[in-house]
Amino acid sequence: MNSIERNLNELNKIQNLQQRSHWMNDLHPMGKLLLGVVYILTVVSFGKYELVPIIMMAVYPIFGFIVGELSFREGIYRMRLILPLILFVGILNPFFDRDVVLRIGNLSVTGGMLSMLTLMLKGFFSVLSAYILIATTSIDDICYALRTIHIPKVIVIVIMLIYRYFGVMGNEADRISTAYRLRAPRQNGINYKAWGTLVGQWLLRSMDRANIVYESMLLRGFKGDFFVHKKGVRKTDIIYVAFWLLLFAAIAFGRRFM
Amino acid sequence: MHTGVHGELLKIEHLSFSYEKGQEVLTDINLVAHDGESIGIIGSNGIGKSTLMKLLVGLYPDYNGVLEVAGHTVDKKNLSHVREHIGYVFQDSESQLFLSTVEDDVAFGPQNYGLSKEEVERRVSEALAKVHIEHLRKFQTYKLSGGEKKLSAIATILSMEPDIIIMDEPSIALDPRNRKNLIKILREISSLKLITSHDLDFIMDTCERTILLDDGRIIFDGPTSEIMHDEKLLTDHGLELPLRFSGV
Repeated sequence: MNSIERNLNELNKIQNLQQRSHWMNDLHPMGKLLLGVVYILTVVSFGKYELVPIIMMAVYPIFGFIVGELSFREGIYRMRLILPLILFVGILNPFFDRDVVLRIGNLSVTGGMLSMLTLMLKGFFSVLSAYILIATTSIDDICYALRTIHIPKVIVIVIMLIYRYFGVMGNEADRISTAYRLRAPRQNGINYKAWGTLVGQWLLRSMDRANIVYESMLLRGFKGDFFVHKKGVRKTDIIYVAFWLLLFAAIAFGRRFM
Repeated sequence: MHTGVHGELLKIEHLSFSYEKGQEVLTDINLVAHDGESIGIIGSNGIGKSTLMKLLVGLYPDYNGVLEVAGHTVDKKNLSHVREHIGYVFQDSESQLFLSTVEDDVAFGPQNYGLSKEEVERRVSEALAKVHIEHLRKFQTYKLSGGEKKLSAIATILSMEPDIIIMDEPSIALDPRNRKNLIKILREISSLKLITSHDLDFIMDTCERTILLDDGRIIFDGPTSEIMHDEKLLTDHGLELPLRFSGV
């Protein structure tokens, strides 16, 4: 399996997760989106030395992965492109901020080390919460939630179409790269001389296919808005969201006493 | 949507079309088709079959002549009405299916026309039943086989209950069993069907009337049984006898 196929497979696996029958998937998308956004805002709002409340915020992703029956290993694997960036963000802090803020036995913990750790955790937890949202909510539901909070229709449609065309472009890239590899068996990867032509072909073919998709939508009455199943808000949705919001608020306000 | 329109559903008079000025792809096409007919459109590659089909659904609105679908002139201001009466099954089923599950894709058309939830549900169930893929209802579209994709694509059109169904090379890439299944299903569909194909055996099995196109013009319009035995006419226009008559 080549890397494009692998990535398409990953996309399909995420779709499988979104379609599974699990109570977390059935929660109202609006609530899940709200929780995701509030969680990220809360986490990033903590100060650079506020390690304890940030660690306490780990309860949400831990709950999401365990109760949501999501594989932590696969989650980390799927986030592998973003995680190094997050880890890199605060890596220089220990060199600039050398004031000792804490001693653990003989070990002096500097402000830079602490801020590096909090920055990394903030990024890490934000990514994990976004993963929980993506893994338990389909793109249709996310877009429905966005429309509910009055995000302009045009933006939501663009998000939806990008998601649809992503698969189309991925499939074309896979076909082109497979055709190339089969006729260049001794080459490792694609020769740089062929890149221009292949990328050009890829874009043209993707445009053609995207056009067919669009025509198919037009011919079935598409007028610039996707239909979404309206979901009623249940007691469970309210209790779930209220519980987490209260907990986030408690951690956020409780940090003054830590 | 199926309006129960009987009689003349499609009227084409002196239709001409060109992508670029001075290079006509279709010239003086005249055609009338009625409810319940099944018409095969044959011809060699690049003679304008797909262009003609796309003109009918208003994808190319700049043409010369008369083009009417279920009494509506095909022009920009009428596109919505026209497309309520006519469904198009693309050659590439994979591109036609763009939603997550078969059910969502089949419901897409009726939902866009603002039908009630109950009516959408009824149409989805009926469309899936017509092509015998009720069991695929909750399946994700990317997981389907080629044959299943084709049947799902047909279901997406049937759910709109169109008066006219256009199919572009429906038998392409189907294995013998799926092909046979598709023939059976097409025979059961009562709408006016326009089927373009190079598979003349398939046309013989599904269409009682055939139109031969060459060089952008209608060369023959008559009974399928007649043209399929006319080796000279077929070979003169870049085709061959159906396999069942060719002795291969």
